[in-house]
Amino acid sequence: MIYSLHEVSKTYFTSRRPVEALNKFTFDARRGERIALLGPSGVGKTTLFRLLNATLRPTSGSLRFDGGEVSTMSVRELRSMRRRIGTIYQQYYLVPSLTALENTLCGRLGYWSFLHTIRSTLQPSKEETRLAMEALETVGLADKYCCRADELSGGQQQRLAIARVLMQDPEVILADEPFASLDPSLKETLASLLVALVVNSNRTLVATLHDVETALRFFPRIIALHDGHVAFDMPAGKVNRAMLDALYSSNSESKRTPPHYAGQWQGADESDSKCVPVCTE
Amino acid sequence: MTLNAYQSARSSDQHNSRKDNLVTLRRLGSAVALSVALILCWRFAEIRPTAIFEPSAATGVWTFIHALFPPDLSPAFLRVVAAATLQTLAIAIAGTVLSVLIGLPLAILATPTLWQRGVLIAGEPPSATQSLLSGLSRATRALFGFFRAVPDLMWGLLFVVAVGLGSVAGTLALAISYSGVLGRVYADVFEDVDPRALEALHGVGASRFQIFLRAIWPQAVPSIIGYTIYSFECCVRAASVLGFIGAGGIGYEINLSMRMFSYGEVLTLILSLFALVAGTDAISRLVRRRLNANVPSAFLARKGLQQARGFISGPIWSRSLPSATVALITVLVIGWSFYATGFFNSGSFDLGLPGRVVRLISEMFPPDLDPGFLRSLLLPLLQTIGISVIGTLIGISISVVLSLPAASTLIFRDKYAAGRNSWFGQTVRWLIYLSARLVLNVLRSIPELVWVLVCILAVGLGPYAGTLAIGLHTGGVLGKLYAETFEEAPSQPIEALRANGASPLQILIWGMWPLLKPTLISYTVLRWETNLRVSTILGLVGGGGLGQAIYNNIQLGFYQRVTVLIAVIYALVLTTNWVADWLRNRPVLFNLARLRVSPYLKESEAPQL
Repeated sequence: MIYSLHEVSKTYFTSRRPVEALNKFTFDARRGERIALLGPSGVGKTTLFRLLNATLRPTSGSLRFDGGEVSTMSVRELRSMRRRIGTIYQQYYLVPSLTALENTLCGRLGYWSFLHTIRSTLQPSKEETRLAMEALETVGLADKYCCRADELSGGQQQRLAIARVLMQDPEVILADEPFASLDPSLKETLASLLVALVVNSNRTLVATLHDVETALRFFPRIIALHDGHVAFDMPAGKVNRAMLDALYSSNSESKRTPPHYAGQWQGADESDSKCVPVCTE
Repeated sequence: MTLNAYQSARSSDQHNSRKDNLVTLRRLGSAVALSVALILCWRFAEIRPTAIFEPSAATGVWTFIHALFPPDLSPAFLRVVAAATLQTLAIAIAGTVLSVLIGLPLAILATPTLWQRGVLIAGEPPSATQSLLSGLSRATRALFGFFRAVPDLMWGLLFVVAVGLGSVAGTLALAISYSGVLGRVYADVFEDVDPRALEALHGVGASRFQIFLRAIWPQAVPSIIGYTIYSFECCVRAASVLGFIGAGGIGYEINLSMRMFSYGEVLTLILSLFALVAGTDAISRLVRRRLNANVPSAFLARKGLQQARGFISGPIWSRSLPSATVALITVLVIGWSFYATGFFNSGSFDLGLPGRVVRLISEMFPPDLDPGFLRSLLLPLLQTIGISVIGTLIGISISVVLSLPAASTLIFRDKYAAGRNSWFGQTVRWLIYLSARLVLNVLRSIPELVWVLVCILAVGLGPYAGTLAIGLHTGGVLGKLYAETFEEAPSQPIEALRANGASPLQILIWGMWPLLKPTLISYTVLRWETNLRVSTILGLVGGGGLGQAIYNNIQLGFYQRVTVLIAVIYALVLTTNWVADWLRNRPVLFNLARLRVSPYLKESEAPQL
């Protein structure tokens, strides 16, 4: 078991009232699994992600990563655990004023010693720069290596986030809406890429998806969340229309963005953004 | 498709590679120039790093600290302290009111959108009146620059000559100095107002006065109030220092007690100064919050002005107090402040004043351009520059060390963060955080001139003491600003880096620095400009630089030389502004990593798809 969650709850104590994001959530993930998390907005998917990549501590329950209990780890142990988990966030999680290449290099931070950090700050190593260029090449951003992240379009930023994770070379990839702002053909390419990456080296992939079609096509196991707990957890083949309709219709959110259309039109901003290269003078 | 793109990127890199040598050469050249400049500054500031470790330094400082305790709390002296503190407060209030009265009308004249360019001007043929007004408008802007460039203590010295020792001189000095600051800020706020409102009123034939009243003023008023209150805070600090040159208030008492070696009194006075500054800050923050008028901290340079925001909701002054009461209190406070500073006192402020000012000005001309005198200014001038540069660098080092533990987001772990949380670790973090904040506050609240006196005890008279003083005060000021900047950093990129397994150091280098670089640079450069102005007057108390020459020439009545000194300071400040703008506009200079791909990738290594 790479992940083992037992009755994990997460409550945020806001000034007005406690908000329960996850309620006694239980699931196990084996190494090499591909899991899609479905569910309308606001059911705790993002909270679950931040628990899984060890940036949040559960309020109660046990969360084990590869056998180790996360809530009692020291800072050092946490750091080495996080290095093994790569997260592709929804948005705004790149360093906007760094170039694409530099953002990609950030994927390696968890591996660097103190001395290497100092050295890379002055001049990143040849080998890592080459790896980073390869990662950018893979997501089709090699020509933008010299652009600041905030000068890239939404879709390009998404791909850059994927490149950063490729660079990190983790055992587990967590992806929060990884294809949200990509156009359909690019979505296809990158989904296949992620799947290939995971299958070839027995990595684990956990992704939240708005888009049910993609989820059913690329992910063998589907977990649906509802009100902070598991609504259903089964192989993709057994999921049927009625179950999905029940999942989305019980939440008013879904009436605004029907699941079948979500993510289809957002590729509009995928136009070729013009940027001013910043790293050559 | 990507491979082609990649190759084209590479070929442009190769094209650049010939230029690379040139770039490297140029970079080497500027590095050498920078080092030489720094070494010169170091020499002129007469830095002797070992001096602070000599036994005499430790003895001097220790004797001083030892003598501070116990503070003098005798009733007689406490009465003196209270009177001095109130006088400082009165100077600050009266100075602020006067600076608003001078600054506001001039600011309307200085607003470019009203007189110089923009929608109101475009259609009109430039009439004689129009050109005259446009010229006046430009001249007013330049005047603001001049008012600001000459340090307030310098204005104070001149007014002491014109109206005699006492708080009237201090008030007038603040009024002139801060009317320059406020006028410029007001004019910038007026200029930032949405021009469409102007155009609409202009279209229906409104006069400029009406346009200002109906279109500009309502939009600008929250920022105006916010900045005015903020400037009052600054005035309190400035007023406390003006006493050093005999312009009344708490500074006068501190200077007196320092010179009489009554250090117990000094401690009482400084504690009272703390209380005054902290109280003013708290009240001003309260008022600003109530008015909902936000100000970006520390006037965030001239370019930060756009960030002024927020509109007054509800009645302007207060929601709980009836506005008549508030207005009455305000009038009373202002009236008291003018009474307490002696404006109604015929002895220090009478109808003869304008005559005396005119006589002083006429005695200042023609400027004394004797070559011997000019030559004698060169060394103090270079000293002044050296003090400001090295002092700022010392301040930066202090503030970097102290601001990291003083930033709550850096020192504490998020209450939701994963992993072990021990109460012991938490306690230690709290202790470190609180002590860092305390040290920063002490460094910041003690004015530079007091620090100079303390540093003289340690390393003796001269520019070194001035440099250390600037360094200590700057460390406090920048440390607080840096800590606030760190706390306001966007959390998401940082969280992503942390989730990658980045260490705290890596988060600083690869996350915080690129995210916050422009703000940090802007604060630092702004502070350096301030420090340059301060270092022109440190000589008043023996801290080196031009101050000694200023003091001597004013005391001896060589006003024609004073004119030259003012001109020199003005030129120096203008040059600094230019350098500072140059630095601000080149954030690339402060990039940490030098990332270029071409040197790393051989043709054979090009990634294959």
